[in-house]
Amino acid sequence: MERRREALVGLVVLLGIAVGVVGTIWLQGGLRRDMVELRAATANVGQLVAGAAVRFRGVSVGRVDAVAVTPGGEAVMVHMSVRPELVLPADAAVLLAPESVFGDWQAEILSLTELDLPYFVDYPEDGVLPGAALPDFSRLTATADEIARNLTVISERFQIAFTEQTALQLRSAIENIGEVSDGLSEIIAQQAARFEDLSEGVNASAAELGAAARVARTSFERIDSIIGSAGAGEMLGDAGAVLSNLRSLTDELNSSLGDMRAAAQQADTTFARFDVLLAAAETGDGSVGKLLGDPTLAEGAIEAVQELRALLADIQENPRRYLSFSIF
Amino acid sequence: MLERVSGALALVGGRTITALQGMGQAWALLMASAASLRNADVWLPHLLPQMARIGVASVPIALFIATFTGIVMSLQASYTLTGTIPVYFVGTLVGKTMILELGPVLTALTLAGRVGANISAELGTMRVTEQVDALETLAYDPLAYLVVPRVLAAILMFPIVVLLAIALGIGSGWITALQLLDMSSPEFVKGLRLFFLPWDVWFAVIKSVSFGAVVTGVGCYFGLRTERGAEGVGRSATRTVVVASMLILCLDAFWAATLL
Repeated sequence: MERRREALVGLVVLLGIAVGVVGTIWLQGGLRRDMVELRAATANVGQLVAGAAVRFRGVSVGRVDAVAVTPGGEAVMVHMSVRPELVLPADAAVLLAPESVFGDWQAEILSLTELDLPYFVDYPEDGVLPGAALPDFSRLTATADEIARNLTVISERFQIAFTEQTALQLRSAIENIGEVSDGLSEIIAQQAARFEDLSEGVNASAAELGAAARVARTSFERIDSIIGSAGAGEMLGDAGAVLSNLRSLTDELNSSLGDMRAAAQQADTTFARFDVLLAAAETGDGSVGKLLGDPTLAEGAIEAVQELRALLADIQENPRRYLSFSIF
Repeated sequence: MLERVSGALALVGGRTITALQGMGQAWALLMASAASLRNADVWLPHLLPQMARIGVASVPIALFIATFTGIVMSLQASYTLTGTIPVYFVGTLVGKTMILELGPVLTALTLAGRVGANISAELGTMRVTEQVDALETLAYDPLAYLVVPRVLAAILMFPIVVLLAIALGIGSGWITALQLLDMSSPEFVKGLRLFFLPWDVWFAVIKSVSFGAVVTGVGCYFGLRTERGAEGVGRSATRTVVVASMLILCLDAFWAATLL
């Protein structure tokens, strides 16, 4: 009985210890006796903790053993254990990144040429891989929050600026633009019609020019034939004489025109004076004016002329009454 | 009026003095028990039987509770973790909860009822039947004979029982996830390993050691202070369960605040 009890207690104790030890090892990812140590230096590690998975091309190849700040404080050293058969790339680096959106991080071994990030820490110690950590979700969330706030500000400003009146004005502007575009369409249509007419006119002109050119060519051919004929020299001489006569005639006409211009000027002066006289006569100034304006003077003048006529008649009849010649 | 006030003050003062006396007597019992460790020839022969009674005999009930705790945890985790949360977090929740909290605490509360009440009733009966006095008369150290082997057996066996309970709780949660939640084993194991730290197991062990000491120590204290016959025995057993449960929860919070 006593021995059985002892065996039972021993069994339970051993079983419990075995469960604890084996369970712990299994949950850690199994025994890692032949693992190779790997180190990487990064500026920060985000939320990476000991026990996180180490992956290479997506395959779990080890675990993170420890994370510690370097003695100088310039970087964080990540100690990892990886499988010994793992062949690393020549330019291997370690990128720390979230494994999911729930805070679990992983260390991924990759080639620098595959992912050329600018912020890999190159730690000056042999055997230490350059490392980098992607931004934490909290930073991304903060950035997204900032963007959202900016969008809110923009929308608020847009809401302030875009009132009902703005909408009406915008609508009116759109309608105006429609009208303007309609007008432009009409103008363009008219201009197109005019251009068509113009092009037709140009075509007609070109045809006429062609015909004129053909006529001119015929004329020039005829002229050439005439010039090339035997009586051409005589004709040219006659033409020269005619031109000379025309030149002299022109000179005479010029001089006649000069005389006529002077006569015209004199006539202008005369007419100007006559205008003055007429103006004076109309206003009643001067003898003529008074004569024209005052009937008494006209009648007096008539009477004077009649008396003068009578006097002249009397003189003719009786010259001695009025004239006497004496010598000495 | 004055009499009422003075009566209330007397009541509060009396209760306070009683509590302080109890704490002082518990401390004295603890120190005396520590001193009794010297009498190994007295307590050592009784250690193994007590380990069998306290530990081995408690395994079935602890595993039963852990099994259903794991099942319920898995179902409730799948019920809670819906939408954007990946399903493998069921494994994380079951594992972390069983290791850090439910495994040690539920086992300890269960054993507070089973072991603590048993010890209190046993020692209480021995007290009221003057068997403890007889031991003293025979020059036996009653603490080395009665208290030390029980407390040591609980300190040794509670972690074992708790580890088994944790393992079975996780296992039952795993099976539940596979059979009822349409999860795969790699998914559950991924979640189980996701945030696992070896320290979690040590945390559970430390807690269960302290819980074992508390459950058996409280049982011994109230058992040895039993008075007034069978009624006193029942009262001691009840007090043991209540106080031990309260102390377990207080210690649980204490360890969480100090060790995590």
